[in-house]
Amino acid sequence: MGAFEYRQAEEIRDAFARHGVRYLFLGKSGAILLGFPDTTQDADLFVERTPENGRAIARALLELGFALDEVQAAQIEAGKDFVQLKNGPFDLDLVFAPDGIERFEDAWRRRVEVEGFAVCHIDDIIASKEATGRVKDRESLPRLRSFREYWVRRQRS
Amino acid sequence: MRPLAIRFRYAFIRTYKPVLDDEPFRAFDTTAEYRRWCEENLPDWLGYGRVRVSAG
Repeated sequence: MGAFEYRQAEEIRDAFARHGVRYLFLGKSGAILLGFPDTTQDADLFVERTPENGRAIARALLELGFALDEVQAAQIEAGKDFVQLKNGPFDLDLVFAPDGIERFEDAWRRRVEVEGFAVCHIDDIIASKEATGRVKDRESLPRLRSFREYWVRRQRS
Repeated sequence: MRPLAIRFRYAFIRTYKPVLDDEPFRAFDTTAEYRRWCEENLPDWLGYGRVRVSAG
């Protein structure tokens, strides 16, 4: 399996749109979409936890080439808090309940569209990283906060 | 700023992460359970553990 490519991000965007999936890029992959200069190894998607959305996600992932069996598809449809997929063309984390963000609907209202990709607002990305308390997130946070100042200024100008 | 497609090419990398990459699928009932699993199973140097505050 290779690294996540732009073409594959487009495939996610288009397949999710076809199936009506409600999702947001979160984490460092979301920050990179907003312009944060860094590297990451997978894509994190904050997905809405509803039965319809869960079914749509499973259908879209199968179409994208993820090798989901019935049990795995059912776990996605049930909206398990955290699902880690390494059985497809790229690594993908589905996060139904990220730390630091209360409700999908709130994050959806604050979302940013980048070339058709739905991305969490930088404040939500930072809030979720602050809430994890993980070593790797603590390392990223000072630069992410600094990037936020630049990004907000740029949005205003 | 470089076009998004170019930034993508250099932003997403692929290196093997022990334990984490050894299963094709994992699902956790709660995010707390996932965090706990990371702390108990992944090497510290991957950075998935919580920051420890040392006493004194």
